[in-house]
Amino acid sequence: MLPPKVAVLFGFGINCDHETAAVFNLVGGQSERIHVNHFVDGTQNLDNFDILAVPGGFSFGDHLGSGRLMGNRLRFALRDQLQKFVADGKPIIGICNGFQVLVKTGLLPGPSVESNGPDFIQTASLTLNDSGQYEDRWVTLEFDPKSPCIWTKNIQRIDCPVRHGEGKFVMPSTTDFDALSENHQLAVRYVDPSTEIGHGITDEPLPFPISPNGSMRNIAGVCDSSGLVFGLMPHPEAVYAKWLHPDHTRDSAPGPNSSEVLGKWEGEGLQIFRNAIQYVLSQR
Amino acid sequence: MAFSTPLPERVLPMPISRVEVTPKQSDGMRDVRGDVVRRQLMADHGIDVTEVRSINGFLIKSTVESEEISKRVDDLFSDPIIEHATTNNLLLASPEYFQNTPDAAITIGFKPGVTDNPGSAAYDGFKTIFSPKNELEDAAISTYQTYVFYGIPENTSVEWIASTLHNNLIQRALVSDSEACQQSLWPALEYPEKPPQVFSPPQPINLEISDEELLELSDSGLLALNLEEMQTIQAHYRDEKIRATRKSAGIVPHSPTDVELECLAQTWSEHCKHKIFASKIHHIDKETGEDTVIDSIFKTHIMKPTHDMQNEVDWLLSVFHDNSGVIAWDDEWSICMKAETHNSPSALDPYGGAMTGIVGVNRDILGTGLGARPIANTDVFCFGPPNWEGDLPDNLFHPSRVLRGVHAGVRVGGNESGIPTVNGAIVFDDRYIGKPLVYCGTVGIMPRQLADGRQSHIKTPSAGDIVYMVGGRVGYDGIHGATFSSLELTEESPSSAVQIGDPITQKKMLDMVLEARDAGLITCITDNGAGGLSSSIGEMAEYTNGCEIDLAKVPLKQPGLSAWEILVSESQERMTVAVKVSDCDAFEAMANLHEVEATPVATFTSSGMFHVKFGTDTVAYLPIDFLHDGVPQLQLESEWQLPKTEPFLPDLLYLDGDADHSTLLLRMLARPNIASKESWVRQYDHEVIAQTAVKPFVGVERDGPGDAGVIAPLHGNPHGIVISCGIVPRYSDLDAGAMAAASIDEAVRNAVCAGVDVDKIAGLDNFCWPDSIESVKTPDGKFKLAQLVRANRELERVCRAYRLPCVSGKDSMKNDYGAGENKISIPPTLLYSVFGDQPDVRFTATSDFKSAGERVYLVGTSKEELGACELSYMLRDSGETQGIGGQVPLLLNPEKNLSMYRALSTAIQNGLVRTAHDCSEGGLAVAVAEMCIGGRVGAEIDIDGTGKSSVWARLWGESLGRFLVGVQPEQETEFIQWMSGHPITYLGEVTKTPTLIISDGYDKLVETETNVMVDSWQKTLDMTGGVV
Repeated sequence: MLPPKVAVLFGFGINCDHETAAVFNLVGGQSERIHVNHFVDGTQNLDNFDILAVPGGFSFGDHLGSGRLMGNRLRFALRDQLQKFVADGKPIIGICNGFQVLVKTGLLPGPSVESNGPDFIQTASLTLNDSGQYEDRWVTLEFDPKSPCIWTKNIQRIDCPVRHGEGKFVMPSTTDFDALSENHQLAVRYVDPSTEIGHGITDEPLPFPISPNGSMRNIAGVCDSSGLVFGLMPHPEAVYAKWLHPDHTRDSAPGPNSSEVLGKWEGEGLQIFRNAIQYVLSQR
Repeated sequence: MAFSTPLPERVLPMPISRVEVTPKQSDGMRDVRGDVVRRQLMADHGIDVTEVRSINGFLIKSTVESEEISKRVDDLFSDPIIEHATTNNLLLASPEYFQNTPDAAITIGFKPGVTDNPGSAAYDGFKTIFSPKNELEDAAISTYQTYVFYGIPENTSVEWIASTLHNNLIQRALVSDSEACQQSLWPALEYPEKPPQVFSPPQPINLEISDEELLELSDSGLLALNLEEMQTIQAHYRDEKIRATRKSAGIVPHSPTDVELECLAQTWSEHCKHKIFASKIHHIDKETGEDTVIDSIFKTHIMKPTHDMQNEVDWLLSVFHDNSGVIAWDDEWSICMKAETHNSPSALDPYGGAMTGIVGVNRDILGTGLGARPIANTDVFCFGPPNWEGDLPDNLFHPSRVLRGVHAGVRVGGNESGIPTVNGAIVFDDRYIGKPLVYCGTVGIMPRQLADGRQSHIKTPSAGDIVYMVGGRVGYDGIHGATFSSLELTEESPSSAVQIGDPITQKKMLDMVLEARDAGLITCITDNGAGGLSSSIGEMAEYTNGCEIDLAKVPLKQPGLSAWEILVSESQERMTVAVKVSDCDAFEAMANLHEVEATPVATFTSSGMFHVKFGTDTVAYLPIDFLHDGVPQLQLESEWQLPKTEPFLPDLLYLDGDADHSTLLLRMLARPNIASKESWVRQYDHEVIAQTAVKPFVGVERDGPGDAGVIAPLHGNPHGIVISCGIVPRYSDLDAGAMAAASIDEAVRNAVCAGVDVDKIAGLDNFCWPDSIESVKTPDGKFKLAQLVRANRELERVCRAYRLPCVSGKDSMKNDYGAGENKISIPPTLLYSVFGDQPDVRFTATSDFKSAGERVYLVGTSKEELGACELSYMLRDSGETQGIGGQVPLLLNPEKNLSMYRALSTAIQNGLVRTAHDCSEGGLAVAVAEMCIGGRVGAEIDIDGTGKSSVWARLWGESLGRFLVGVQPEQETEFIQWMSGHPITYLGEVTKTPTLIISDGYDKLVETETNVMVDSWQKTLDMTGGVV
């Protein structure tokens, strides 16, 4: 069977394109780094890909708000291609700046369940961390087991680095969150690592640095109502191997004990990418 | 030009539209930018303001009308979920958003012509939305911030607050005080219209003048050339043969043009030619009676040893001549590294200066060979004490402000470029108030062979190749940076020497250049740094022995620049790239795709001439060999005499013999030089690229000190690279030679802690020195030059012993402020950086103790070496003791050390040791304390077996060649065997009880709880003002 084809966007200050492409390849994908303008000028078409990844970085320097200007490029120049991609039921992931881009295009959290495909209307935002600082630090994440998100299946809790200055997820009102919560679209949250696994998720704001940014309801990432479009602020690709976990020199980096690609050194983040590849294969 | 837009028709000046945006004040939202200002005022100045709110402003100069803009404000300028916006009004004037009258409002914007990155990004987004037809030629967006203050403490001047929020060299501020606010007189900045530049045609400069006038010309023109150099230029234009060729080329025959003189001044500057390192030095040693001549420190002590080593190993691919040194890493990949300083610009504008420092050294990597990818940054700063309460000379910023600005510049430059900052240091000393040192380093990687078979580390230009300028445009910013950095700072230092980097323009260029490299389109590449096009094209023209440049083709930020300004401007984000004629179309198409400007501005020739035209006129016609090799060698005097220093006598403090080492330890941990820099370092992205296996902070709480950065850059492959550094300027107060040796040893030790392959390491020497040429301004120049001689002799001795080639380096030789009695000279400072091979990052070590029962060993030998130790400075600063003198730590037998380092490193590579920490500032006591902090455990240590020297020396001394390591009990026997033949001493073991106990036999010296140590160590430099 042909490996699923993954389009990894790059250009204009996207920075994590190399590692994002690499992790999809490690789990059986065939990824290609494609400059945004190649989709705009028609050299490439999203239609030829099975998965779209919008990696982290500082697109356009994050001026005018993180992800904003890249979001506009997608919203105005790639609207039709994106519309079709989502309508075709193909998975999209946005990591860090990519998540910010997807939120600002309106693809995340996206319109309600009843709607027909994306409407490109922004309903949430990611704003400056309460700390006022860009920070690189490790956090603990827990996933909603009932989420329709195809990217997060069978993942309970992982450690992951965050590297952002604008990661506070906000929406105008609590009813917005209630609706997402009901649909289990609040796919991943920051949790206190001292809680029991499976019981970490809470709506009560957690203190810094457990919640690194003051995100409402401790949200680290959300999916759209279909579960195919997923975005998160932390960087699961940055822990594809245990040797990237801070505890590896203490022989206590968590993760699976065996994997085809990395033996006992697979990191906890890789499963997210494997889930999408397996999803694509299962749909054939 | 690859990027052509038809010239718009000139229309009448358009109205300028104003958009203002402010965060919403609803539940759970906060004005974070305002909070940051409030916290900084508290942290830096103890001023407690009740509330600060912020407004972002945009001034839009465009044919698009305000009404149109107003309709789309939420699509571009404001985020409707979190912000309010208004068009052509001031938000402050609107009671809907600002109900209460503030105590003050301060608006800060850029001065005309200063790089405004948010403004350029906004205009880019503006074009996406409006696609304006017939747009103005100078259409642009200018940004500003307004801060609105409520509850300012009495006696706090609003003007003073404004001065802390902006740098008037590059920014302007408008202030409304309480009275103005009451009357609703709000600050409203207008669009910063650039004053027109007046083009002056190239002028001949008459050099048939007296020696005094020659010097006067050099001074007034900021040429930074001495009399002999001016006379050499004068003689060149008297040469009849030269006059004849000039005549036939159609340029003024008997005098230089301003273009030529500026070009020579840049190329011959200390910054570009390293004239002191290349000089002939008459060296006298008053101690030994030595009287010798050294013909170039660089050739003798740096180049020769490295070339000798190049003959012995096969992995030294490229040393010295390129933008960075290149070593083979495996069969497919080579790695390279370069470190630079950006001291003078950082003194004038800490933010912009430091940012251009980091993005500039990134370009050195991109300009190495046929182009390498930057994959890791390092940064090392030297500042005045952040809590300095003494006087400050005019025109100098307070050290805390320099720290904040430099840190922000490096943070933005590194983070936005997507390059992790994996290693660094911050050093404090009063004398760095005069000139902060900002070292920025970058590691790069490139495939050893390109698809077309060429070796990537070798440039392959031919005559006829087209030379492109790629990236940013040329502006008035950055004129005279190279010559300016070769002069001491004064109150009149020029603002044009300061620039602000634009990481996104550079990132686009980097993406594009690396694609062009892989497509085989590049024959030669270098960056535009100091000296601008004159240096970049001039240096590359040496390969083919000639070039012809047309300055009229160079795209400008604003019209009107004169020819010489275009040639020497150091405007940022530019590479110079040579491409075969047949590849130009493909190259330009690639530039177009990436929205990068690429303009052919020159052609390589083999004419032997550096030929510069402006349109059809020849404006410079200089022989390549005169340009590059014409500068006369300096003749300098050096004289060494041991500096007289008061000895460090700690015993006098405690005549009853009852020293309180526990308190001393807590005080030492709080010393800025030792204290945790985590709150600063955490703001650097150290993990982008998903390769960082050992991060800057390690341990259970990820807040213990890391010794070296370790990366595994090939995804899925644990093959690693270690990056480390050493810097010990204190020792220069006793002997700059010992300082150099200690710096190198520290860098190597740090790398050993990470399990580096000691047989495959390379180093970079970055010297920052005070002026070392004897003159009226520098009466002690001979001594300072002797310090340089001694440092380089030690560098050679230690590097030869460690078989550590210096593959690249840099020197910055005028780190002084002012003159006469008030002159501040930095302590002679060598930063030594090391990069090397790490066979497998899964087997490395970190400084944190791993578990109770772990056995603790000292590797190496403690000696009676307390001279210039950190403890001596602490007790001198507090007035408890008088001096810092005594025996400075020496590296007596480096060959023996190397063998010990190899044993320890291989023990780590074999998994025998998972805990290792370099023993340096603060000695054994501080090292073991840091290891307890990292592991959040305690330890019981006995230093009785560590030799015969005094308790002070064994506890606090900084003898070189030492490590503390932890070994699991079940591996102890094997470890002892592995290290046999090397000095190791059992010290004790790690305890679960989180208390550090250090004894000397029956005497208990230290007993301190780990959490108390954490507190001391972390508080000093946490200047965030507290989060949330």
